[in-house]
Amino acid sequence: MNILLTGISKGLGVQLAEKLLSNGHNVWGLSRSKSEKLGQLLKKYPNQLKWLSYDLSDTNNIRNKIFKEWIGLQTPLHGFVNNAALAYDDIVTNLNFESLEKMYKVNVFTPMMITKYTIRQMLLHHIKGSIIHLSSISVHTGYKGLAMYASTKGALEAFSKNTAREWGELGVRSNCLVSGFMETEMSSTLTENQKNRIYKRTSLKKATEVESVAETIIFLLSDKSQSITGQNIHVDSGTI
Amino acid sequence: MKKEKLLEIINTIKKNRNEVLINSIDETSDLRNDLGMESLDLAELTVRIEAEYDIDIFEDGIVNTIGEILNKLENKR
Repeated sequence: MNILLTGISKGLGVQLAEKLLSNGHNVWGLSRSKSEKLGQLLKKYPNQLKWLSYDLSDTNNIRNKIFKEWIGLQTPLHGFVNNAALAYDDIVTNLNFESLEKMYKVNVFTPMMITKYTIRQMLLHHIKGSIIHLSSISVHTGYKGLAMYASTKGALEAFSKNTAREWGELGVRSNCLVSGFMETEMSSTLTENQKNRIYKRTSLKKATEVESVAETIIFLLSDKSQSITGQNIHVDSGTI
Repeated sequence: MKKEKLLEIINTIKKNRNEVLINSIDETSDLRNDLGMESLDLAELTVRIEAEYDIDIFEDGIVNTIGEILNKLENKR
């Protein structure tokens, strides 16, 4: 399969990329910068892994820079994993519009535009593809300081469900992977105390394993999940 | 030439949907009413025309007839 993956340089993205590559798939990865780990993967999989430096707050060049010049219309795309996200955390009374707007560009607007061109690419090549948006447990369980961030993920969940309904008859599927808090850079600003309070609200009383999220995404990309679409799949240590 | 190519593209889509092929089209043929294309068919038509001519026919508004598509392709040149 040819998989387009955003946020490939760190955390879940780089681990997911490694698993996909070792399973023999081709990965088209986007991130702003190249991490050491990503550099190693590029050396190890020179033919399977393609990387483009792209700032996802740039909503205007998606068609030209990503699809026309880089992936190319001739490449059949089988999946899109919308993994990259900005986390702008603050209490609502401190809401800064510029930060909010930038987060919406990265988390919502650009992924919606990439979805547009991904589906078009699937149409052109007659592919029953799979689209996966990374969502967050904060959409379903409120946390202090995450109202703005959670709202971007809630938007993705609504977008995904409706995309699934719209394109299901052509076999294109769309699901959200609703992740709990993982021990990645995304949650590195949280204090130990904050983390422990979050983990106490889970059934398993611990962080969500990146490995478990990555494996579920691979399942959702594959034909093994061919009857699953329009769903929010929770991988969150059983958050209650 | 472009008209024949358009007919070919439309029939590719019809064939993909197991629908009856179209024999001919002219400028006044209405995509929805005369050619029986629905929104998802039109999406595929847009993509196939884009792949051929590098122009997104629905980018700035609704297109109804074959003539309107041909105009857009001409204006681009």
